[in-house]
Amino acid sequence: MTRLPPQDGERVDREREVTFTFDGREVTGLEGDTIGSALFASGRRTFSRSFKYHRRRGLMCCAGQCPNCLVQVDGAPGVRACTEPVQEGMEVEHMNARPSLEFDAMRATDLFGGPFTPPGFYYKTFIRPRRLWPLYEKILRHAAGLGKVPKEQAEREWRTEYRRRHADILVVGGGAAGLSAAIAAAELGADVVLADEGPEPGGRLLAEGNHARARELTARARDLGVELLTSAPALGAFDGLVPVWERDTLHQVRAQRIVYATGAIEQPLLFPGNDLPGVMLSGGAVRLATLYGISPGSRAVVATVDDRGLEAAVALLARGVEVATVADLREHGNSDAMKQLMRQGVHVLRGATVLQAEGRSSLQRVTLGPPGAGEGGAGEHELTCDLLAVSGGSAPATSLLAQSGARTRYDERLGHFVLSEMPEGAHAAGEVAGSGSLFEAERSGAVAGAGAAHELGFGDDESRARVETERKTVLNSRDGMPEVAVPPAVTSSRRGKCFACLCEDVTAKDIHLSVEEGYDSIELSKRYTTTTMGPCQGRMCQLPAVRLMAEETGTSLADVGTTTARPPWHAVPMGALAGRPFEPAKRSSMHARHRELGANVLWAGDWRRAYDYGDPRAEALAVHETAGLIDVSTLGKLIVRGPDAGELLDRLYPNRFSNLAPGRIRYGVMASDAGRIMDDGTICRLDDDSFYVTTTSSGAGAVYQWFSWWLADWRLNVHLTDVTQGLSAVNLAGPRAREILASLTDLDCSAEGFAYLDGKRADVAGVPCLLLRIGFVGEVGYELHFPSAHGEHLWDALMEAGGPLGLRPFGLEPQRLLRLQKMHILVGQDTDSESTPFGAAMPWIVKLDKEQPFIGKWALEKAASGELETTLVGFRLADGHVPTEGAVVLPDGDGPVGQVTSARFSPQLGGVIGMAWVPVSLAKDGASVTISDEGRRLQAEVVTKPFYDPDGEVLRS
Amino acid sequence: MSYEFLTPAPTALARSPMERQALAAGARLEQRDGWNVAVAYDGEPPERGRCAATAGFADRSHLGKVELQGSHGLPLGQATRRDDAWWCPFTPEKALVLCEPADTATLLERLEGTFPTVVDLTSALAALTISGPLAREVFARFTAIDLRDSATPVEGFRPGSVGRTPGAILREAGESWLMLFGAALGSYMWTVVADAAESLGGGPVGVDALAVANA
Ligand code: FES
Repeated sequence: MTRLPPQDGERVDREREVTFTFDGREVTGLEGDTIGSALFASGRRTFSRSFKYHRRRGLMCCAGQCPNCLVQVDGAPGVRACTEPVQEGMEVEHMNARPSLEFDAMRATDLFGGPFTPPGFYYKTFIRPRRLWPLYEKILRHAAGLGKVPKEQAEREWRTEYRRRHADILVVGGGAAGLSAAIAAAELGADVVLADEGPEPGGRLLAEGNHARARELTARARDLGVELLTSAPALGAFDGLVPVWERDTLHQVRAQRIVYATGAIEQPLLFPGNDLPGVMLSGGAVRLATLYGISPGSRAVVATVDDRGLEAAVALLARGVEVATVADLREHGNSDAMKQLMRQGVHVLRGATVLQAEGRSSLQRVTLGPPGAGEGGAGEHELTCDLLAVSGGSAPATSLLAQSGARTRYDERLGHFVLSEMPEGAHAAGEVAGSGSLFEAERSGAVAGAGAAHELGFGDDESRARVETERKTVLNSRDGMPEVAVPPAVTSSRRGKCFACLCEDVTAKDIHLSVEEGYDSIELSKRYTTTTMGPCQGRMCQLPAVRLMAEETGTSLADVGTTTARPPWHAVPMGALAGRPFEPAKRSSMHARHRELGANVLWAGDWRRAYDYGDPRAEALAVHETAGLIDVSTLGKLIVRGPDAGELLDRLYPNRFSNLAPGRIRYGVMASDAGRIMDDGTICRLDDDSFYVTTTSSGAGAVYQWFSWWLADWRLNVHLTDVTQGLSAVNLAGPRAREILASLTDLDCSAEGFAYLDGKRADVAGVPCLLLRIGFVGEVGYELHFPSAHGEHLWDALMEAGGPLGLRPFGLEPQRLLRLQKMHILVGQDTDSESTPFGAAMPWIVKLDKEQPFIGKWALEKAASGELETTLVGFRLADGHVPTEGAVVLPDGDGPVGQVTSARFSPQLGGVIGMAWVPVSLAKDGASVTISDEGRRLQAEVVTKPFYDPDGEVLRS
Repeated sequence: MSYEFLTPAPTALARSPMERQALAAGARLEQRDGWNVAVAYDGEPPERGRCAATAGFADRSHLGKVELQGSHGLPLGQATRRDDAWWCPFTPEKALVLCEPADTATLLERLEGTFPTVVDLTSALAALTISGPLAREVFARFTAIDLRDSATPVEGFRPGSVGRTPGAILREAGESWLMLFGAALGSYMWTVVADAAESLGGGPVGVDALAVANA
């Protein structure tokens, strides 16, 4: 048991035990423990196996910054054990080791696989012989990746949320600076959200024993109404949007100002064996002791380049951990921490660092000495220990700032990249901005928070003046930053792997090789070696990689620079990014009735539509023989109203509408300014000033936008209203349609009283309707448009009245067959983006003599005077085979000259019919064309008039 | 030819596009002003409790909704309560007037003479009221419209995307919000709102409980 006596401010409750399993074995921790601390307390030192070499890895940072403690929790891979609180009954498993964490067969990669796994090995090896690739692939796929995703879909689904949150100010980071920023802004009246990665706000305050202050600041922030999000890393900084992931919720925070108080990240040192379990960052060792009351080792050695490591040594000593020796790379310095260590008689080596760490399954001894010393060099000290606490300096966590537009520069004195330029609307506070001590961090936070609030108009002159004075003090204090010794890229030339990137198992030697191979910039090296691309996202490896690159290329760190900061800054499950699925589906007001009638419902654009009711051919025949009823509510529907309504339509369509009589209907094909067919539909003139325009189902939105666009440009006195969803529509068609309709309305439904292409207003079954006598399906037909709230009422009334007369509902598929028999085009199916009305065999619709200029006129004039190459015709096939839509038309067996756009078997006509684009020379009745369809050659006969009722006698009757 | 074919008539039963979902959730329907209205679910006390403690949502698609086009002079961003109706401006030239269903015919008549274009959109738009202390949290699950007091005070009117479709939100009272959206999306939007509300402990409420809760 490695628990220390109770620590002041520790997070664990020693009275309450929590039991969970790790790889099937029961582990008992304390309430408040993380999985990592509970496992460590139970004696576990190996937490994971590394990505490529399957080396043992143990706790290193205890702050969710490195890849060393990744485990699988209740089936979800990629969880950081050191930040995930334990919960009763949790099932925790190791990742990336087979058959077990203690004995991993893939460790052979480390022992013997070096030559096969150089940087970029996947570009070089396992390529030849090609025929073995399937085998390689199987092995590599098995070896790749870290966690195991459960096989069953149900087991890999969990509820995730998107939560949109607007705020005046977002504070990223809940340490001393972040909390102070939030408090200062909230005190001035701003609406503030604070997002912190840790399970409890406080950051370093908690880890360094200032828990009382942390909790005081947290309570104050809460009292002021600050929304505190914990265990909630910010994933990136996009224009005005910062996604913050908190457990199962992705908060999309849109704040007017952002204060980044992201702190600094303690850096490792590079030396052989730097990844052994037992080698920890000094902050990690202190966190284990302070927050969880755990001794991180029984005998510790500390290697540092700054006061942080010395302070860690003091803290460990205070908690009863033996500190054998401290190696401080600095030759001089007499900070308070150094004085304390001296007073307590700790052996301190100045100008020394760690040269090597050794041990079998975990750390057993280290060698200290002057940097660069080889094997057996002068001034070396070999020490047995089970904890090496390392502090290789710190790197401000600038990634999110850089993503939002900040710039950094290399600071020689501090040995890391510091902020040099801030983007508008962003503020930085605390360590990320160079305010290192806790006191300074709090002060800089308050200045940043108040400054952000002031920019939004909160506060008054007095508060502004006060903050301005404080700001100057903060800036001055940054000049007195404590001294650090900049460590060499690698501390010694001894044998053994020195890991620059722990996530991707990239060694210092790998970076050397990549430079030798020509990848001599940090961006190229990143792509080739994958350094900085793993779960730590460069936290641990960016600075070491830059140092190595500078050394290898002989350039300065400033010239090497850093890689471009990109989201995500924190690993996040794909499910959290996806959020709840939204699939806006439109449904007609009669949708439930179709379901009850057994309709096969499919997507049609953004609508769910009845495709058929089980027997499309019988449904089509019913339309010819008795009557059919189809729901056509999906049609786009616009009211165009105003004194210039006729002129607007004349300008938008190639044919005329201003001369259409009220109560009459005309077909319209809308052309683009290139003369290509965009959409089609019918237009009914309601009165002198208003028209009712229908569009295709899928074109409704685009047509409304097209109308609005031109209307804004032409400034005509017209108003548009989209009533697509307000009006439902059904088409009642067939020989008995008139009889059925007449039974439900007072309207004169006779052929004379209600003629083809008439539009009438009447009540049907008590429902106010606009009735259009049009015939898309070729039989006498009435399209009824009516308030969608009455959808079920009218559908029921029509079905009831028509049932005894043989009325049958029909779906989209029979409608497609029926319209094909009439050779009515479907825009987008029978036409494409190059089709003009001339090519589509509708020259009659283009009124080039129209006095009114119209959209596409110039292009259509050109088309009219030129030679058409292909045109749309009908065809009949003697063979019963229905060609695929898209099958090619061949002239004499050579290259394709056209294609089939629609084809169906027509029970009414007893054969296969279709439409196709063919060369103009073949566009005559009786001509023969060859259709090539999936290897079959079919001989088709060209037809230029509708297959059914070619002269429209039935339709008009 | 008149525009009567746009207006639901009292001679036929009018239904909300969310009626099926409401029934499946246990709604009791009552005919009011020609509409089938979900008046109650599991009883007034629990429904009122939902509106008081978490979030209740009620189908109010039966409200009259009239679009007027022409210069209306209403201040943008807020709705104006006038003559027992909400006047909600979308643009300086376009507004929606919301009224009780029984008042729609009179309203249409009155507006016809005043504005160049008046169209009844009662059937075109569905409406849900979300009410309760967690109403804004429910909205946050499916819309990015800023509903904080500073951006949308009481009587604020905010057109925008809801559940990835065009819509608008009117803050009728303290924590009572009326959301408008395309009627054809009614069934979809019910599932979106129910999913969000239920995950926060809320649920459907009838218009009767809603009226009491908001009184
Ligand atoms: S030890 Fe958990 S992330 Fe570093």
